[in-house]
Amino acid sequence: MIVIGAGLVGSAAAWHCARAGASVLIAEAGHPNIGASGQNAGSLHFQIERRFLENGERLAEEAARITAISRIAIADWAGLETALGEDLHVRRDGGLMVAETAAEVALLERKVAREQAAGLGTRLLDGDEARRIAPYLAEGIAAAGFLADEGHADPRAVTPAFVRAAERAGATLRTETEAVAIARQGGGFAVTLRHTGREETIRAARLLIAAGAWSPQVAMLANLHLPLFPVALTMNATERVAPLLPHLVQHVGRRLSMKQTHAGNILIGGGWPSRLRRGTGGAFDPALRPEPIETSRTENLRAAAATVPAVADMNLLRSWTGVTAITADQLPLVGEVPRMPGLFVAAGGSAFTLGPTFARLVARQMLEQDRAEADEALAMLSPARFEHLNGFMG
Amino acid sequence: MTRRIEQGVERGSRITIFVDGAPVAAFAGETLATALIASGRIAFRRDGRAALRGLFCNMGTCSECFVQTAVPGRAPRRLRACLTPVADGMAIETGAGPDG
Repeated sequence: MIVIGAGLVGSAAAWHCARAGASVLIAEAGHPNIGASGQNAGSLHFQIERRFLENGERLAEEAARITAISRIAIADWAGLETALGEDLHVRRDGGLMVAETAAEVALLERKVAREQAAGLGTRLLDGDEARRIAPYLAEGIAAAGFLADEGHADPRAVTPAFVRAAERAGATLRTETEAVAIARQGGGFAVTLRHTGREETIRAARLLIAAGAWSPQVAMLANLHLPLFPVALTMNATERVAPLLPHLVQHVGRRLSMKQTHAGNILIGGGWPSRLRRGTGGAFDPALRPEPIETSRTENLRAAAATVPAVADMNLLRSWTGVTAITADQLPLVGEVPRMPGLFVAAGGSAFTLGPTFARLVARQMLEQDRAEADEALAMLSPARFEHLNGFMG
Repeated sequence: MTRRIEQGVERGSRITIFVDGAPVAAFAGETLATALIASGRIAFRRDGRAALRGLFCNMGTCSECFVQTAVPGRAPRRLRACLTPVADGMAIETGAGPDG
């Protein structure tokens, strides 16, 4: 098997495949964890994301289906540090999604009702109840959805741990190794890899594209469309402070996520944009570091201070930008491409929180082990829903 | 030994700041970093492993030069010494200790 991309999902899938006995090669164009896997702020968020709520009820209803995957991911994260034998700074003291205005409270109530119907253990708290659990919250917080399973982990630790586990299980990692051609051969693929100018063609029965925002370009080598679009985000870190914020904090009406790292820094993000840069061909190039947008930083910090007033007194240590990818319908893209049996993809956002689960399930599909169960769990994320785009491709 | 340029320089008024409790002479218009370095103090803080840290970028980016305010009765705050102008009577702590 060949896995393209040594991010969280690729290295985790390689681990699962290698320890099941498969011969696995991971081809990484740069170095492990350099993309969204290592650039995100490490939220383990299982409540329905704000981005699914801000575009009307119909999308929210559809997106609520992702809670089925979230429930599996909650169980996967619970065993991850033990399975990998490493400290990933996984902390799951719960997460609060807060609301301030009456409209936000109403939105939160509908969201929590949806989650409860889907079997998530979210509880609706009023402002005072929320402040009893989270005394750092502002007086203006009128309600919160609390989910005990939420928390955070260290993005700088998780992918390297998966890479090491994959290598221990027998997988081979090639860094600075770019896929430059993919051809169908027999029932499988002939993948040409380029490293320091030298090309080598390797046969594989199964191919997994787990290259994050680069995935569409990799799929082009197989003459396939993947409807993934790069998006550039902004994250911020404060100085280290004494333990203040044990939870993940999000906001139902504002773009905000907050958590305190093991070292003590408060990480502040929540989906504020930065500006994608274009490559020489004119298309967005995810390899170029996006340009910061000043108002993203100021509005993000304003939302943080309005929610957790103590951060107003903290020094901002740094802000950074990173690239992830979203699909045309906002749901991730995980599974086999019907047009090209044997070619799998796992990309498309939420892949820190849900990445270990995407990897485990797509590995089941690739290995043909408990495949029906994996197919069912991933059905809503299957590339089959975009098959019309590949009607003239392949 | 002074580290300040003495010839052809106009300075603000002479003031006193307090560093780890000790009076340190400075001039209005200088930054805390300037006053600390001029007084021979190159260690500004200790990091999470208790190692000494000091001025690095001198332009507000790296945050290596954090010092703490020492105002009686108020919680200490971290300041970037390289961006913070001195003020008469200002009191800061470096945490650097006797080996700093």
